[in-house]
Amino acid sequence: MQYKRFQTNTLWWIFVVAIVCLVSTPLASEPLRRGRDVHWSLQPIEAGSPPSVEDTSWVRNDIDAFVLSRLEARNVRPSPPASRNTLLRRLSLDLIGLPTLPEELDSFTGDPHHDAHERLVDRLLASPHHGERWGRYWLDMAHYADTNGYTSDEVRPNAWRWREWVIGALNKNVPFDKFTLQQLAGDLLPGSTIDDRVATGFYRNTLRNNEGGIDPEHDRVKRTVDRTNTVAQVWLGITMGCCQCHAHKYDPITQEEYFSFYSFFNTLNEIDTEAAGPHQVEAYVRHKATHDAEHEKILASIRDYEEKELQDNLRAWDATRPRPAHWQPLRAQRLSSKVGKELSQGEDLSVFVTRVDGRLDTYVFVAETDLEEITAIRLEVLPDDRLPSKGPGQAGNGNFVLTDFRVFAAPADDEAGRRRLTLENPSADFSSKTGAVSQSVDGDPFAGWEIHPRAGKRHFAIYETERGLQLPGRTLLTFELQHGLRDYHNIGKFRISVTSTSRPPGSKLVEVGIVDALGKSPETRSEEERVALLDYFRTVDPRSVDLARARDRHAAAAPHDPRRSVRARAVVEPPEARETRVHLRGDFRRKGEVVSAGVPVVLPELTPRGPRPDRLDLARWILSRQNPLTARVIVNRVWQQYFGRGLVVSESDFGTQGEPPSHPELLDWLAEWFRESEWNLKALHRLIVTSATYRQSSVARPELADRDPYNTWLARQNRLRVEAEIIRDLALASSGLLHLRVGGPSVRPPQPADVARLGFNDDVKWQTSTGVDRHRRGLYTFFQRTVPYPMLLTFDAPDSNNACTLRDRSNTPLQALTLWNDPVFLEAARALGRRIVHEVPAGDEREQTITGRLRHIFRVCLSRDPSVQEVAIARSFFEAQLTRLEDAPESVAQIVEGVPLRDSAEDAELAAWITVARTLINMDEFITRE
Amino acid sequence: MKPALRNLLQQHVDSTRRDFLTTTASGLGALALGSMLQRDGLLAESDAASGLFGPRAPHFAARAKSCIFIFLAGAPSQMDLFDPKPMLNDLHGQPLPESIDKNIRFAFINAESARLKGSPRKFSRHGQCGTEFSDLLPGISTCADDIAVVRSMHTEEFNHHPAQLMMNCGVGRFGRPSVGSWVTYGLGSEANDLPSYVVLSAGVGSSGATSNWTNGFLPSIYRGVMFRSQGEPVLNLTNPRGFTRQMQRQGLDALNALNRVHYQEVGDSEIADRIASYELAFRMQMAAPDLIDFTGESQRTLDAYGVERSEPRNNLFRGYDPDAHATFGRNCLLARRMVERGVRFINLYHASWDHHDALDKDLVYNCSIVDQPIATLLKDLKQRGLLDTTLVIFAGEFGRTPLADGHENKGQYPGRDHHPLAFSLWMAGGGIQGGQVVGKTDEIGWAPVEDPVHINDFHATLLHLFGLDHLKLSKRFGGFDIRLTNVGGKVVNKLLV
Repeated sequence: MQYKRFQTNTLWWIFVVAIVCLVSTPLASEPLRRGRDVHWSLQPIEAGSPPSVEDTSWVRNDIDAFVLSRLEARNVRPSPPASRNTLLRRLSLDLIGLPTLPEELDSFTGDPHHDAHERLVDRLLASPHHGERWGRYWLDMAHYADTNGYTSDEVRPNAWRWREWVIGALNKNVPFDKFTLQQLAGDLLPGSTIDDRVATGFYRNTLRNNEGGIDPEHDRVKRTVDRTNTVAQVWLGITMGCCQCHAHKYDPITQEEYFSFYSFFNTLNEIDTEAAGPHQVEAYVRHKATHDAEHEKILASIRDYEEKELQDNLRAWDATRPRPAHWQPLRAQRLSSKVGKELSQGEDLSVFVTRVDGRLDTYVFVAETDLEEITAIRLEVLPDDRLPSKGPGQAGNGNFVLTDFRVFAAPADDEAGRRRLTLENPSADFSSKTGAVSQSVDGDPFAGWEIHPRAGKRHFAIYETERGLQLPGRTLLTFELQHGLRDYHNIGKFRISVTSTSRPPGSKLVEVGIVDALGKSPETRSEEERVALLDYFRTVDPRSVDLARARDRHAAAAPHDPRRSVRARAVVEPPEARETRVHLRGDFRRKGEVVSAGVPVVLPELTPRGPRPDRLDLARWILSRQNPLTARVIVNRVWQQYFGRGLVVSESDFGTQGEPPSHPELLDWLAEWFRESEWNLKALHRLIVTSATYRQSSVARPELADRDPYNTWLARQNRLRVEAEIIRDLALASSGLLHLRVGGPSVRPPQPADVARLGFNDDVKWQTSTGVDRHRRGLYTFFQRTVPYPMLLTFDAPDSNNACTLRDRSNTPLQALTLWNDPVFLEAARALGRRIVHEVPAGDEREQTITGRLRHIFRVCLSRDPSVQEVAIARSFFEAQLTRLEDAPESVAQIVEGVPLRDSAEDAELAAWITVARTLINMDEFITRE
Repeated sequence: MKPALRNLLQQHVDSTRRDFLTTTASGLGALALGSMLQRDGLLAESDAASGLFGPRAPHFAARAKSCIFIFLAGAPSQMDLFDPKPMLNDLHGQPLPESIDKNIRFAFINAESARLKGSPRKFSRHGQCGTEFSDLLPGISTCADDIAVVRSMHTEEFNHHPAQLMMNCGVGRFGRPSVGSWVTYGLGSEANDLPSYVVLSAGVGSSGATSNWTNGFLPSIYRGVMFRSQGEPVLNLTNPRGFTRQMQRQGLDALNALNRVHYQEVGDSEIADRIASYELAFRMQMAAPDLIDFTGESQRTLDAYGVERSEPRNNLFRGYDPDAHATFGRNCLLARRMVERGVRFINLYHASWDHHDALDKDLVYNCSIVDQPIATLLKDLKQRGLLDTTLVIFAGEFGRTPLADGHENKGQYPGRDHHPLAFSLWMAGGGIQGGQVVGKTDEIGWAPVEDPVHINDFHATLLHLFGLDHLKLSKRFGGFDIRLTNVGGKVVNKLLV
């Protein structure tokens, strides 16, 4: 029974839920589609003419007629327009998400043109920051993030490329139908461009679980379910990701129908695609040509040197060349193993370890020598058929880990007087990537010399002894070979030799052919040896080395081919479509009937281009005139961003469980207008923000609080606390710190180290960005799904795990603490204080200076002049802080933080202004669109 | 205050009263707002005292007021701690018995080829009740008479992150509120100057990380507030250097005055909420440092909680952290101090119980971190008369297999894989009948054979202890009334006093 429940539940609810939601969203049962019984959202869009109103003078465009007629019917007057200051800041925050510049204030408030408002709107809509502001909302819906999510939460280095596409598309005012087609089916569009394919990155914002032991197919199914639900939610206003399945009175639509819809997304494959724009490729080709020409010159100079001088230099070097070492293999007097293995020395003086077992061992090799000077020691490890993979190690792959190699010397007659020799410049003919030979003398028990994967071959390490080492008389040498890291990783066969040749050649030289060649006179060398020697000489000849270095440095500076380096996450449709079957009882491993792609019958009919409907058919269907949902859903979303709530409050539930529209005629008129405009988003923005409805004051109407508590009638504007990212932008912009670069990869502004530590197993690395990237707009902040940047979540940024179509606007003590004390906001307050002091220099009259500065800081932060009352409050605060600070030089130094002015009085004053700036940044009005 | 604005605020008060269990002005902000309104004479004192904005009435009489939910992320092995299986030792090295349905997927092992693994642990009976505990829990086992062990837990997820979501949020998907959010949403706050839902973490992070204490679709005031183990206890709690407390107070007064001016102009109650939030933040700045100041605790208490314990020198354990012992002990003591101050829900996280390998060795390390402080916590709460109203839970996200897993060493496999079909957790205090074992698994611990308890049932029971009916505590989202127990859940009556 338990097992059954586990089986059933794993994925079952996801599907049941989705199905039931489709059902329950109204769009369900057949009778609802007929005649006047059809649920409102599925009825064709009917754009009637705007109603007539009494007060025609208030009406600025048709929106206003719809709103006013309803108000008049209730005997309610609309609110007066907001002041120009308020409108300026409102438009700026709404259209580009940035505050106004103080100089814009006067030019706008004093603009005599009757269409000053419209001109401002056009200017803001043309700003490159418009795409950032509205792109972020689209990112919410697509649930964009910079990492995979789940336990391991890996970084997605190319995710930003899709964000860049969104910002660019909105800035270029790509019509919403094309915007849709590109994202849903860019890869299937005829003559599909890079831009089209990058747009399909929309689908790649799903989470991906790479946790150990995950079934990849299980996770792919989850991603497909997410895509199915997200598309339905974002474009059609149908919530599929919910549940409470037991509560529904509706007839279920069939499982087949859900999987038919799912099938559109089930066939796609994920790829990382080339994403360089044509201008990037063009620039690359130009730079590459220049670079190639320069490089050719360097190569020519090398050829020139080699032809004219190299041979002479080689001959000169050859005459004085160091001779190869004479290695003298040692015969052991004593051989022992720490764990009791047998070691035996053969004819060739190699030592074979006769038993292979797992225990880690230390070999001791004791030999006598009469050499009075030892310059180097050579440890050879040798292959042998008796060893696994022919050795030289005892591990299954022939490897070993020599964690420590120690040598002791003692007079032959006084073994107790031994001392350890220092080994220098270890070199080997070969070492593994992580098993450098130097690790055999560094004393670290967790690393050593290794030779994997070059098993079955002879290798050797050479250790130089300390310079000037003299060993008078006969000497007893003790060698210890320690193996301390992994079971079985002992050496299986080795030989130890010593030499007294001065400064024996290093490892580079010891390729067999070169050593031999060096021993011969030039005339007797073979052609092969000559070539090998010349190759070697190039690595030690100073001129050759210099030339090669110049060549390599230049090559490294070659421009990167953006076709290879700029990638984006995208999807493609493989030629062989993946089959979709109903998942019995929700378990994706239990396959039921095969279904083909299609839409539920309760929705308008889909007419495919060919026998097999695909995502392009789906996208066209979403945009078709027969589909009344899309245009309604999208204009409602845009409206919601300007008024805080949509004409349909349940912005992602256009079903019977959702709310009906407050102004159905206006919603339809807007939807139709939007389609008629050929889905022109900027025109829609312009239409709404130039209406009298939008321009109203947001001051509360106490007389309506009872009749219309949620301002559904739109007898005023609403005050809206701005989004998390914009709060950051406001603080940085007001203080002059904001760096306004548009686009590019995500950045990591500073955050406390222990935030990232909440991520699984310390895997999350937060490498703080430097330079201007510390001060970028909030939407570029790297979004790590498992441990998001704290300030963003504190101010209700979505967690990016599901589509978010409407953000919460909470009001919490943690927000207060963030604005007061977060280092970013403190930095902003400091910079703002300095800015005010700098931009309004102290005049002769102290009184005037203070009011001048107060006026300026209000204008910078709130786009308006302070009232008399506000000046009084701020002023007395300033004076009180100054009084305290004048007696607290330590506080002053900490507040101004290392940027003192000329004297302590000025510093105290600056510190007091910083405290004023900090207060302004914390004002409710500062983070609110009035 | 202008009469019109007074009216407006009164309406705000009224609408809040109407939306008793809805959200606009609830939790902390509302609490503070309440006191502000009271100051302004808009709210009768009796209303404030009766807890209109602060604590809210449960559906029926509650046993528990607070909860300390100790989460062992990664999933501790139940047959090595709470559910002794002598038969498993007898069958050590054998394949799964024929009677077991092998059509099940594991994260890593293959049910056909895997071999059963016995437990080297010694179990013995404790307390008057005689509940069996493993020798790795010498401290917790002394509290046997207060503890109810549930041996028949089961879940639907067998990968860590989805399973941690399931254990915290009732379903294995994103977007749902965590249990702490639901409880504080349902009952409001009893803490005057601290958040009502707090999270403490020791050692390395968990799979679920911040999604484990998410508010989901509930207002963000119900999100768990992370208390940090180093530096300031709450992020941004401390004033920047140079800004003295007096200066901060002056700044706050000026800010309030400016906000009030604007409030009088525009009449938006959000501004009143904002003022209240700042006041509460200011009080938190005072209260939180006091909370973490242990100078009032005796050395005996500090030693009993093990707040100064050092780590073993061997650092090769899974999830080794140089401060895990000390931090976990400290967190347990903090939890008690928070309960004393009215904090409603406290999560204590310790990660890295995912013992696919080296289970015997690593379980010793983990238990040495958590056993002593948890035992001390239970005894301390009891001695202070707080255990009756404080529910303490010890749980991971699923269980571990009776089958062996991990890297072969001399023919032995040293770990266990994820097991969703059966696992153990325990609860104590807050209306739980201690000294009992609920549920039973089969002889190898493969699946429950008596009183199976689904996670939804566990959550239903937890809410019940708080006087909340899991069927009634819901919130409309996306067109549906959604609850913690999803579409299931029944209260486990055996667990109740």
